[in-house]
Amino acid sequence: MSALADKLRGLRRQAGVVPPAPVAVAKRERPALPDNISQLLGIRRRAQNAPQRPQRQESASLPGQTIAPGLQLSETSSAWPPSPSTFHAAFARLDEVIAPERLLLFDTETTGLAGGTGTRAFMIGVADWHEGRFRERQLLITTLAAEGAMLDCFASWLRPDSVLVSYNGKSYDSPLLKTRFRMHQRACPLNGLSHIDLLHPVRRQWRGVWENCRLATAERQLLQVVREDDLPGAEAPAAWLGFLRGGSAEPLHRVARHNSQDLRSLGGILGHLVTQSTSLLWDTSKTSVRRKQK
Amino acid sequence: MNALPNPLAQRAVRQDGALSAPVSGGDQLARQLTKRYGDRITGSFVLPGREGQFAPLPGDMPPALADALRSRGIHQLYAHQAQAWNATAAGEHVVIATPTASGKSLCYTLPVISAAIRQQAKALYLFPTKALAQDQVAELLELNQAGALGVKAFTFDGDTPGDARQAIRLHGDIVVSNPDMLHQAILPHHTKWAQFFENLRYVVIDEVHTYRGVFGSHVANVLRRLQRVCAFYGVSPQFILCSATIGNPAEHASALIEQPVTAITESGAPVGEKHVLLWNPPVVNPDLGLRASARSQSNRIARTAIRAGLKTLVFAQSRLMVEVLTKYLKDVFDSDPRKPPRIRAYRGGYLPTERRAAEREMRAGHVDGIVSTSALELGVDIGALDVVVLNGYPGSVAATWQRFGRAGRRQQASLGVLVASSDPLDQYLVRHPEFFQGAPPEHARIAPDQPLILLDHIRCAAFELPFKDGELFGPQDATPWLQVLSEEGVLHQEGERFEWIADSYPANAVSLRSVADGNFVVVDRTDGRQTIVAEVDFSAASLTLYEGAIHMIQSVPYQVERLDWNGRKAYVTRTHVDYYTDAIDYTKLKVLEAFDGSPAGSGSAHHGEVHVARRVAGYKKIRYYTHENIGYGPVNLPDLELHTTAVWWQLPQRALDQAFDHRQQALDGFLAAAHALHIVATVAVMAEARDLQKAVGSGDGAWFATPDVNGRAQIRSGFGEGEAATLGPFIPTLYLYDAFPGGVGLSAPLFERREDLVRLARELVHRCDCRAGCPACVGPVLAADEQNEHSLKSLATRVLDLIIAL
Repeated sequence: MSALADKLRGLRRQAGVVPPAPVAVAKRERPALPDNISQLLGIRRRAQNAPQRPQRQESASLPGQTIAPGLQLSETSSAWPPSPSTFHAAFARLDEVIAPERLLLFDTETTGLAGGTGTRAFMIGVADWHEGRFRERQLLITTLAAEGAMLDCFASWLRPDSVLVSYNGKSYDSPLLKTRFRMHQRACPLNGLSHIDLLHPVRRQWRGVWENCRLATAERQLLQVVREDDLPGAEAPAAWLGFLRGGSAEPLHRVARHNSQDLRSLGGILGHLVTQSTSLLWDTSKTSVRRKQK
Repeated sequence: MNALPNPLAQRAVRQDGALSAPVSGGDQLARQLTKRYGDRITGSFVLPGREGQFAPLPGDMPPALADALRSRGIHQLYAHQAQAWNATAAGEHVVIATPTASGKSLCYTLPVISAAIRQQAKALYLFPTKALAQDQVAELLELNQAGALGVKAFTFDGDTPGDARQAIRLHGDIVVSNPDMLHQAILPHHTKWAQFFENLRYVVIDEVHTYRGVFGSHVANVLRRLQRVCAFYGVSPQFILCSATIGNPAEHASALIEQPVTAITESGAPVGEKHVLLWNPPVVNPDLGLRASARSQSNRIARTAIRAGLKTLVFAQSRLMVEVLTKYLKDVFDSDPRKPPRIRAYRGGYLPTERRAAEREMRAGHVDGIVSTSALELGVDIGALDVVVLNGYPGSVAATWQRFGRAGRRQQASLGVLVASSDPLDQYLVRHPEFFQGAPPEHARIAPDQPLILLDHIRCAAFELPFKDGELFGPQDATPWLQVLSEEGVLHQEGERFEWIADSYPANAVSLRSVADGNFVVVDRTDGRQTIVAEVDFSAASLTLYEGAIHMIQSVPYQVERLDWNGRKAYVTRTHVDYYTDAIDYTKLKVLEAFDGSPAGSGSAHHGEVHVARRVAGYKKIRYYTHENIGYGPVNLPDLELHTTAVWWQLPQRALDQAFDHRQQALDGFLAAAHALHIVATVAVMAEARDLQKAVGSGDGAWFATPDVNGRAQIRSGFGEGEAATLGPFIPTLYLYDAFPGGVGLSAPLFERREDLVRLARELVHRCDCRAGCPACVGPVLAADEQNEHSLKSLATRVLDLIIAL
C-alpha cells in the first residue's frame, strides 16, 4: 500500500467513511509515491517505468485459439439443439417470416451488473445453425486492449439481415454492447437488426406459473436440461478478474462451459417456441378455414 | 454596483420598463420601526427605483425568436442582456453577475434558442435545485409556444420517469438538470447521451456563487469530467454562467470551468424602491456589552409586520433556530387550534413531501409568516412577500442580498431587515454598513484539488473513460491517484492505460455536498414507530445527536435515547421539555508540516498541515425564553480527528517576555486576538463560520487553551477534567484551520492575505465601542474585568501589534 493510499484512507476515516480494504493483486513493482498530500498537490512527477505485466504461472491453458493479441476464439458444433424450420415470428411480436440461416443467438459474460460505462463484456458467445449443425463461437479477451478486436470480430459475423436471438438481451446484452462499440468509437452493428428476446414470450406464457422466468428455470421446465458443475453466472466476473490479476485460467473454462450451455438452451427454447407457435398457427388457420366454409 | 432585486420586474420576460408609484408596505413599516427603535438601527438606506438601460433586439437574432419575444411583450433588451448576446456570439465563455430578477435568464436563453433553431445545437442547463430547474423549463416552454419555435426543453432529474428518459436523451434540445444528476446519472451513462453530447453547444450554469467551498470543489470536478467526456465526442461547448453579486465573478467562474471567462456585472434592469435596515439588538448589560438576543428582535419585527398585514419571511441560521422562532410566532398567531395555521416552518431535513406541502400553502397565500433556513434562499417559488427578516447574518453579503431579494414581488416597496446576533461576525458587519453599500467584499473560493474530492472524481472519471498514463485531470497529473485506485482494485493497469474493472457504480457513493459521505439518520421510535425523520451530517452528529440531546424536528422536541455511532443511526423519542441542549467541545492542534512561512512583526506566520483532535465533553441544558443554564450532561463519543490545513502565527518567548507580565496574560491575549482574527478571516474568504475554525495551543500539540467560564484562558494538556499542563518551551500559537479532512483551500488565501488580516483585526479591536472587550471584538468579558488595566482588549491589541507587519 502506498503512502498516498494510506493518507487518503486516514482522511476518509476522519470524514466518517469506512474505506475498502486493498485487494490482493499479483505483486508488481510500483514507482515510489510521494509520502505527503501537501507535496502531492503540486506533483507533476510521472511514473518512471511502466509496470511489468506479472509473469503468470500457466497452470491451465486458455480456452480456444488466439486469433489476435489477447483475443481467444473457441469454435465447436453439435447436433443438439436441432434447427427450427422457417417460421413466422408472431410469438415474439415480430411480423416477419424468418429462415433459420438468418438466426444469430448471442449471450455475453460481463464484468458485473452495475451498469453504465464501467461495465464491459469479456466474453461474447454467438451461435447459429451452420451446415445443419449448431455452431457455437465464443470470443474471450485476456487483455483489456483486445476489446476492440473482439467487437470487430463479433461485428464481422453480423449480416444486415441477421436476426438476433437472446434471453433478456434487449435490456441487458444489447445496450451493453452498444455502449462498448460507442466507447471504441465504432458504429454499432446491432442497430437496425431484428431482435427476438425470448424472455418476453416466456414471461407472457409462464409468468406466475413457474417460480420465476430465468433462463435456468425455462431450460429445466421446457427442455429438462440439467446443468453439471455449472458456474453460477454471478461468479463469472470474479473468475475473469482473478485471471486478469494474474490468477489461474482454469475458472475461465467453467465460464465458457456456462456460456455454451446458455447458448444451447437459447437454441432449445427457440425451437420449443417455434414448434408451439407453428402448431398453434396451424390450429388457428384451420379454424378460420372452417369459419369461411360455413 | 448596488442595484437590487427588482420588486417591480415581474419575470424577466415581462419588461415594459414602466415603474408605477410604490404604495404603502415595506416603506411604511420601515418608517414605523425607525421611529420606535431608532437607537437599534445602525444602518438604514433606501435603494431608490432606477430607470432601465435598454438596447434594441439584436438584428442577427433568428426572426422567429424575435417574434416570440415581441409577442411576450419584450421589444427591447436590457443593456447587460445585449452585452451577453454579443460576448457569446464572439465565442467567449461568459459569466453574468447581476442582481436577482434582473433578467439573467434571457442572457443565456437567447443564444441557446438561436443555436437550437439554426443548427439544431443542444444545451445543458445546470441549476442547484430541482425547483429552479422546473421554473426555468416552464419559462422556456412559454417562450417556445409564443413563437412556435419547435425547441424542446425538458427537466432531467431524479423525478424523471424511466420511460421518459430515453426520449429526453434523443430529442431534448435543452436539458435542464442539476450537478448531482450530471454526476450520478448523465456522465456515467454518457454513451446513451452520445447524440446529445455530439451536438452540445452550450452549457449554462446558474447560481455559480453557491458552488464554493466543498460543494463548489466537487462541482468543478464534475465539470472536469463533463469536459473530458465532451472531448471524447469531439466538442468543446461554450459556457454561460450566472452568479449573484460577489467580488470575483470572473475569477470564480474561471476557476470552475478552468478556462478564461468574460464577466458582465452592470445591470441594465430597472429597480424599484427597497428599504434596508441593519438592526443591532439593544444593550441589556452596558458593563459587559451584552445585548438582547437577535431571536427576540426578529420575533418582534416579524410580529409587527404580520400584524400590519405584510407577508413576512424570517430566515434563521440553524434548523434549531427555525424551530424556536416558529414556536414563538405560533404561540402568538396560531393559538386557536381550530383555525388553519398562519405560521409555517421550512427547512432541509424535512421529508420532500412535507416541503412540497409547505410550498403549496405558501403560494396559495394561506401562510402569513414563514420561518426558514437557507433552504428557501434560492428561487423556490413561494409567491409574493413584503418583508424579509434575517435572524442573524447569513454568512455572506451575497446571501444577504439574495435573501432580501425574496421580498418585493408585488408593486409596493419592500423591506429587508438584518438583525445582528451576538455572533462576532454579525456584530462586525452590522457596524459596517459600507459592506452592504460598496463593492461586493466577498470572494468565492474553491479547492478542486482537495485530495479526497479529487480521488472521488478521478474514480468516477475512470469509470466513464479509461485514463492514459500521465493524462491530466484538470491541471493534475492523475497517475498517482490512478495507482491508488489500482491498489484498491477498482482500476486495472494495462500498458499505458488504466481501465475500470470493478463491479460498482462509483458516482452513487460520492455526495457532492460532503467531503466524504458518512451521514447519520435519525429514527423516531415514539410509541413503537420505527421511522426515519431526519438526516444529519457526520461532522454535525457529535454536536447534535449525543445521547440526551434535544433534537428539534418541525418545532417538536425529540430526545436522543441512543446513538449507534458505527451504524450511523440516532434513535429518538418525542418529549415534552422546556429546555434545549448545547454541546461543549474541546480542540487540540498539532503542526505536521509547514508549507510556507514568513516573518510577521516580531513573530512568524505559517501555512501548512495540522492534526486536529476534537472532543465533545458534555452538554448544557438551556431553558427556553430565560436562557438560563439548568444543568449539564456527559457525552461519551469518539474523538474526532482531522488532518487539515491551517494558517498560524507564533511569537518567540523573548517577544512575549517583553510584552507580558506572565504567561496567563499572554494566553489571554492570544485567545482574544484569535477571536478577532477569526471574524475578519471568515468574511475575507466567504467561509461559513463553522468551516473555518480557530484555536490557540502550543506549536507541538502539548497543550491547548480554551476560555473558562470567566473568559480567561485555561491550559489543558488533554481532554480530561482539570488536567493541568506541564509546560515545556512556551510557544503559544494562534491557528485558523479548515474544518474538513484534507482542508478545502481556505488557509492558502488566508496566508496570502495574512498582513491584511492582522491589520483588519487590529482595526476591529481598536474601533470597537466597548471599553474592555466584548463578543464583537475579542470575546465576552466579565464585569470584574471591566476595570482591569490588562483588559482582554488591550491584551489582544498587544498580541496583534506584535505580529503586525512593519
